Amino acid sequence: MTEKAMARNIYLGEVSRNEEVRPDFFLMKIRLPAQFERPLPGQFVMVRVAGLQDPFLSRPLSIYACKQGPRFCTIELLYRVAGKGTRILAGLIPGSQVELSGPLGTGYRVDRTKKNIVLIAGGIGIAPLSLLVRELRRRSCRAADAMTVYLGARTETALVGLDALRQSCSRIIVCTDDGTLGEKAPVTKAFQRDLPKYNPADTALYACGPKPMIRSLAGLLNDQYFCQVSLEERMACGVGACAGCVVAVKDASGNKAYRRVCADGPVFELKDILWE
Amino acid sequence: MKKKSKTDPALAVDIAGLKMKNPVITASGTFGYGEEYAEYVNLNQLGGIVVKGLSLKPRLGNPPPRIMETTGGLLNAVGLQNVGVAAFLAEKLPFLRRYDVAVIANIYGESYAEYARVAEKLSAAPGVHALEVNVSCPNVKQGGLSFGANPKAAAEVTRRVKAATDLPVWVKLTPNVTDITVIARAVEQAGADAVSLINTLTGMAIDLRTRRPHLKNVTGGLSGPAIKPVALRMVWQVAQSVAVPVIGMGGILTAEDALEFMVAGAKAVQVGTANFINPLAAEEIVQGMRLYLKHHKIKNIAEIVGTLQV
Repeated sequence: MTEKAMARNIYLGEVSRNEEVRPDFFLMKIRLPAQFERPLPGQFVMVRVAGLQDPFLSRPLSIYACKQGPRFCTIELLYRVAGKGTRILAGLIPGSQVELSGPLGTGYRVDRTKKNIVLIAGGIGIAPLSLLVRELRRRSCRAADAMTVYLGARTETALVGLDALRQSCSRIIVCTDDGTLGEKAPVTKAFQRDLPKYNPADTALYACGPKPMIRSLAGLLNDQYFCQVSLEERMACGVGACAGCVVAVKDASGNKAYRRVCADGPVFELKDILWE
Repeated sequence: MKKKSKTDPALAVDIAGLKMKNPVITASGTFGYGEEYAEYVNLNQLGGIVVKGLSLKPRLGNPPPRIMETTGGLLNAVGLQNVGVAAFLAEKLPFLRRYDVAVIANIYGESYAEYARVAEKLSAAPGVHALEVNVSCPNVKQGGLSFGANPKAAAEVTRRVKAATDLPVWVKLTPNVTDITVIARAVEQAGADAVSLINTLTGMAIDLRTRRPHLKNVTGGLSGPAIKPVALRMVWQVAQSVAVPVIGMGGILTAEDALEFMVAGAKAVQVGTANFINPLAAEEIVQGMRLYLKHHKIKNIAEIVGTLQV
């Protein structure tokens, strides 16, 4: 056994499936040793092609699904090709080896006391929220119609993960920027229209999406709402050592501080984020 | 546990009185305060850990985006975000004390007096074994490069720190100068016990789509394999110019890389950006060195230092 295999949280995984589910969106299944820890929704992995030196940094990808078996564990990553690193990942064929560490970061905190569960996803932000929806169904026995998902994307072909989501959630409001499917509106507009229905005392909100979406959400919600958002940043280490992936927040005493998206997040309370 | 065979090569090094079990040290800013990697790495296997640059007061650091990967390299403009020396002593150092590893505190100040104050505070604490003076950070407005690129200022920082501490003082040099040996000699004459090099090379990356720099700070420091040839050249030059030990770094990913630095004249090496892609890099480099020495029947790592034949 190599040293690498003995280290906690670092694994050599084998790609068992990697296909383009929508233009530029891929679903990768990776087979890992059984000791891969059960991920919380919102957690991510750092993944790179084994031995590759350019690009050499791992790419942070949130966990879309995880199945644990007695002999191995299979995780699914739903990702968008955004640059050189993800393009190379997209080219991996079944049998390819990846170096992977995780699960990393904080997950969404499920507030069981709230009657309404509302999820707002933009584009590939659907990935961690899909895992959350399934966990909510499984762990707190939420019925498929007890949650509402607002799902937005540029266009119909970028609405990734929708079909799978329908299996665990029956209330999905779809928006596209160009109106090719659902409402022709930003997803936050559709949510804003329904906002009066959700009072802060019995609503838990979970969001993931591009920064402009999160930012407009912050403009809609006052501090009384429980709203957790998962953020995306370029990362180098993924474990909190390099301080490369920070986001500006209000700390406990109300002062500005930079928190590491990888280790202090990626899930943050929306009201803590400072928009500069 | 495998028995130590008679042929096991000696890896221990002595850098200006600081004894380390091997010459492999994790570089400042790439290994946090050690605890971030403790669940991945057996810290006891490392020669030393240089902690994230410490200043007198906590520092916010630069606004994001702070990093960008470039071909074979990583640009960063973190700007010395750190908890400050008091919180380091109270919250971070006790953890590190539990390990059998040399702890080197990287220090930073905005003035001569501040460097001395930070040095003084760290020297009083058990568990700090050496100081590394950062006069080479390219991402801060005051201090950093403005001291490290000027031989007089670099020497003055060194003198003030030396006067404030009994610990061995390493001075970390910047490559962003015309002749690095001038700075190396200046800090040596001012009392530096060792020099470590190179810090990052100033660089930038542009997003053609938006015609904006990728980093909010516009420029950043380049590290990673892309800078290794520059680092090797500078280590070689400095090793010939000073008598104090040289600690080499810049793009080391493998044991072969590390050994090349030692052949060029480094008594010890630091592993930086490699930690990000493989937390076990430093540990694997130690193992690789041992294998190399065994294979070449070299009894002591010291035998290869400065053996470059030109």
